[in-house]
Amino acid sequence: MDLVVPDHIVELGATARRAFGDLGGVDAARRAEADPAAREQAGDALRALGADDIDPVGDVDQALAAFTLCREAGRVALPWPVEGTLCTIDGRAVVLVDTRDPLVDHADLLGEIVAVDLEGTTWSAAVAGPALASRLAPFAVPVTLTALTDRAGADVDAIATAAWALSAATVLGHVEAAVALAAEHVRTRHQFGQRIADFQAVQFQVADALVATAGLAELALFTFWRLAELGAGARTDALALRLHAADVARAALRTAQQLHGASGVSEEYDVSVLCRRVQSTLRFPVSSERVLDVLVDTTRETGFVSLFPQGRQRARR
Amino acid sequence: MDYELGADADALRAELRTLIAEEIPEEFLGAFTDDPRDLEIAQRFCARLASDKLLTLAWPEEYGGRGGSVWEQTVVREEMWAHHEPRGAQYMGLNWVGPAIMAYGTDEQKAQHLPAIASGSVIWCQGFSEPDAGSDLASLATRATDTDGGWLVNGQKIWTSYAGMAQWCVLAARVGGGEKKHEGITLFLVPMGTPGITVRPIRSSLGPHHLNEVFFDDVFVDENAALGGVGNGWQVIRHALTFERVGIARYARCDRLLSALEAELGDDFDALTPSVRAAWVRALLAVRVARLLAYRVVHLQAEGTPADTEASIARIAVTQTDQLVAEALFAALDSASVRDKRSGAALHGAVEDHWRYAQAATVASGTIEIQRMIVGRAALGRA
Repeated sequence: MDLVVPDHIVELGATARRAFGDLGGVDAARRAEADPAAREQAGDALRALGADDIDPVGDVDQALAAFTLCREAGRVALPWPVEGTLCTIDGRAVVLVDTRDPLVDHADLLGEIVAVDLEGTTWSAAVAGPALASRLAPFAVPVTLTALTDRAGADVDAIATAAWALSAATVLGHVEAAVALAAEHVRTRHQFGQRIADFQAVQFQVADALVATAGLAELALFTFWRLAELGAGARTDALALRLHAADVARAALRTAQQLHGASGVSEEYDVSVLCRRVQSTLRFPVSSERVLDVLVDTTRETGFVSLFPQGRQRARR
Repeated sequence: MDYELGADADALRAELRTLIAEEIPEEFLGAFTDDPRDLEIAQRFCARLASDKLLTLAWPEEYGGRGGSVWEQTVVREEMWAHHEPRGAQYMGLNWVGPAIMAYGTDEQKAQHLPAIASGSVIWCQGFSEPDAGSDLASLATRATDTDGGWLVNGQKIWTSYAGMAQWCVLAARVGGGEKKHEGITLFLVPMGTPGITVRPIRSSLGPHHLNEVFFDDVFVDENAALGGVGNGWQVIRHALTFERVGIARYARCDRLLSALEAELGDDFDALTPSVRAAWVRALLAVRVARLLAYRVVHLQAEGTPADTEASIARIAVTQTDQLVAEALFAALDSASVRDKRSGAALHGAVEDHWRYAQAATVASGTIEIQRMIVGRAALGRA
């Protein structure tokens, strides 16, 4: 058992945080909504961090590097398709898609796209129109799906598994940042002659959000280790991480906005941008309820590694 | 990073499961039931563990232990709790009374108590909580006053597990006074057979032996009975609690019961409603998260990194998981869930037993509110 995150991964996270901070942090997301061309600065920063050379299913180090970049990008709602940049096959971006309403965040920046649906079917995707420019999904682009002429290699299942896990890493970053902002807000905001952090009801809400976030972070590390070990064999783990990320986000982001009071919905506050921008990651390609449906079946069929046998195949650690 | 526990820990788990399969009946639900044979099973099992030095696996070799790694200790915690703690009340002596005596005891105390604890032949109880000193333990009022050759103790303890069967008690009492309420507290090692000690069982939904009141009326305590010196009790308690920080591996029993549920239902499992099966998946996930958070605490403690906040985070997650899993199991079993061992329950009553135990999970060994205060204050500081 070795639970130490390697130093170079920690360093990569710190470097990414500085780089995204140099772009203005969440301000980069605000700028991109006003001027979508500004997204290129985020892409440049990500490339400078070596994102193009990372294979999220290559080995444990690369899986953790991919996880770390998505997490840090999530902290500032980086306006760039980070998961699609990391998940590639033969130079084509691999993204997750819902065949009933195919929308892909930043599809216009991805070039050639291999799309994979919840059932694992692969498609070729092409941009079909301008971005929605809606408040909750400003960069979501409709795509048309056509049959893939090749299978994009056998590795596509592993890369798609990585895409599910990385979407959860992005959510984790958003949630961690939002909860940290809430903690800072209640430390500095005074009402009734005292910090609102000194109200026990507030302390308990922050504590519950931190417990949930810490659990999600640990689950993510474990899942990326599994991903590196098993590739597509970690599909159940990746879907489970994605479901848990959605469950944690729902509660913790609610807490983060609530503790900000009216500021929580003011776009001048980063928490509002984070809670709004994470919605496309949370809802694409499908709702967590649909992920849950599939997860129930795959867990039952292929098992769930644990201390005791779980699932019809009685999987164990 | 690597989440494999390693060959030694895996071999130990296999060894423990073999021992348990040989010694513990399938329908065993713990040592403390209405059936006295369950306690006999536990005592016999402890003797077997002691002979293999598995009882004191965590102890240093100089005290008769096996010097097991933190991950081997973790495996023991998991396997014991998963199988309804067949060590009975022994874990208290092994987990913290013994280590506290190693750290703070006199040579005489070590010679008298450590071999007995290592052999699994003695039961200890912990005289800490009082009617007006629960979470606020330092407010305890039980008093020890100077007398010829020792102290006279007067006061009342409550919620004391195993007091009715224990031979010894680690008693926290106030000697003299200080400016702060932590000052003056002293721990005494007291034989439960001492005249003046009265135990009154409290009927509880957990079953017999778990909760008791203990009254001390002019109880004479020998002058050599103080552990860690007079007035140093709070320091010993704080040190002792570090042994308990990771807490019970409740997630391991949750894991085992979820596994057993699937086996019990067989193909009927697929006929469960979608919402029940969703609760099952979320329960498996919660168990995984709880275990990972507990492992993080083990890792930090092994590194020597302070882990107070992480320990509280893990406790909150582990105890809430206990309750979440209890509800998920009940949801799957419908009305069969409330049958117990004697009325034909599924899984020998293990699910019914688990649900009752889970109700106390967020109170025992430090309430969830105290854990939330620790986590909240660590993040927010104090005014």
